[in-house]
Amino acid sequence: MRLVIARCTVDYDGRLQAHLPEATRLIMVKADGCVAIHADGGAYKPLNWMNAPNRLVIDDEGWVVTSPKGESLRITIHEVFSDVEHELGVDPGLQKDGVEAHLQELLARDMATLGQGWTLVRREYPTDIGPVDLMCRDDEGGAVAVEIKRRGEIDGVEQLTRYLDRLDRDGNLRPVSGVFAAQEIRPQARVLAESRGIRCVTLDYDALRGIEPNEMTLF
Amino acid sequence: MKFRCERDLLLGVLSTAGRAVTGRGGALPVLSGVRLEANDNQLVATGSDLDLTIRSTIDVAVETAGATVVPARLISEIVRSLDVGAVEIEVTGDEARVTSGRSQFAVRTLPIDDFPRLDPPAGEQVSVPADDLAAGLKQVVLAASSDDARPILTGVLMTAEEGGLRLVATDSYRLAVRDLPDATVLGEGQKVLVPSRALGELIRVLGSAKEVHVRLGERDVTFDVAPEDGAKVQLTTRLIEGEFPNYRQLIPASYPNELTVGRETFLDAVRRVKLMAREATPLRLTLSEDSLELMAVTQDVGEAHEQLDASYSGAELTIAFNPDYLIAGIEAASGDEVTLQTLDALKPAVLRTSEGPDYLYLLMPVRVS
Repeated sequence: MRLVIARCTVDYDGRLQAHLPEATRLIMVKADGCVAIHADGGAYKPLNWMNAPNRLVIDDEGWVVTSPKGESLRITIHEVFSDVEHELGVDPGLQKDGVEAHLQELLARDMATLGQGWTLVRREYPTDIGPVDLMCRDDEGGAVAVEIKRRGEIDGVEQLTRYLDRLDRDGNLRPVSGVFAAQEIRPQARVLAESRGIRCVTLDYDALRGIEPNEMTLF
Repeated sequence: MKFRCERDLLLGVLSTAGRAVTGRGGALPVLSGVRLEANDNQLVATGSDLDLTIRSTIDVAVETAGATVVPARLISEIVRSLDVGAVEIEVTGDEARVTSGRSQFAVRTLPIDDFPRLDPPAGEQVSVPADDLAAGLKQVVLAASSDDARPILTGVLMTAEEGGLRLVATDSYRLAVRDLPDATVLGEGQKVLVPSRALGELIRVLGSAKEVHVRLGERDVTFDVAPEDGAKVQLTTRLIEGEFPNYRQLIPASYPNELTVGRETFLDAVRRVKLMAREATPLRLTLSEDSLELMAVTQDVGEAHEQLDASYSGAELTIAFNPDYLIAGIEAASGDEVTLQTLDALKPAVLRTSEGPDYLYLLMPVRVS
């Protein structure tokens, strides 16, 4: 990542023509070739930018960024105040609070959320069309496949239905029942699931994490 | 299909049936429409989202019998925009022509074959005084949850209780219970969970009706209402399946602390003091001998205090509530006085009315430092 703070003029020529008059700005050149020009405001959005892949040529008059689509960005540098470069490495990606993986982990640790006497067989239980989130045994020893989502939509019910169809072919498991567990389950998804005999469970992320709510409730 | 009818009557049935229509039609686009059936000089308008179905019937002059489905919102807007007077609707092919005076609209209809076939209501019919039911429902529906994450709490429990009907609703922060001793709807030990949304719509249509006829099916319940001065309405809703929380264990037989205060005075004071209960700040009640002090403090905004004359027996106590929930409970209570019974500052308090034991509003306090 190269960060340059400079007084510059910018001219873009591509889908339209745009000109940024002379001012002090941050020029950001990312490792993948993206170039973005930021003012000191406006949150995340650059004043001008060129997505990778790009070709960057630096000459006496400034920088010229060109893309295969025929766009060009000319940055005329008048004065450089700072020019630093840093290796950031590979980014692990955005991890949103309450993602499915964490819900799966929490639920696997606390099977009583699904039913008293339930036991975990395995997380990411394999089928020939992909792994189902949890495979469990209920209090009577019956096999239960659990699909976990943050938002329970019809797609998720269809996905679990496909897993159940595959798992039911295994004589060691058959009959396999299904649980569709999500922080929020859309009414249509609930109707579809229940019409297929799949139980719906709404997950309370705070409760699974052992966080007591501030507001007291009756039950 | 061709019929003629007064604008206001037509608008009435379209609006009533349209309240069951889903906004976007979801997976079944025809559900964004209202089904119109003209026959035997009657028009039946039906709207449904599959959970709730509302059918509204009026007398009209039918020239040609038939049925169609028209976009619910659009047809209502068109009829509402017309001048008062006769409106004629004629359906030819996939077009409904709406005519009134010099105005003419042609509306593309929706495929009637896609509209779900709605079974006639099942179950034995029982009748309930409409005003009693409306009053009871208004007192409990407000306590039902609107959060679909806990579908059980979005319903109102209807249960047979000592020969009458008990209505119960809760959103887990408050719980309202109303007994209707003269309403015999359910058999001994029978209980059903009816979506509060449907009951909210029922309250709207009960109007001037004297009786409401109830038919309880295996999976749904139907209410038939025939107000003296309006369209006949039939409302059918799917029942919610599941076990309602055991609310009885939350109501102790007696409370050591009891406050009695004028209902209107209390309500006005809570509304005033609430003005300073911003940003989810609770409203504090200090109960002491013959006095009640209300207080709200919001940091960086200000504070409000008010003292009321009240009759109080018990230990001096400060208890805090969500002001909106407290107001809802006082508003729903009838009579000149209300009684607030408490165990301590952290256990549910009970609000009762001076008019009798038929109404109870249980309210969870808010923890304050």
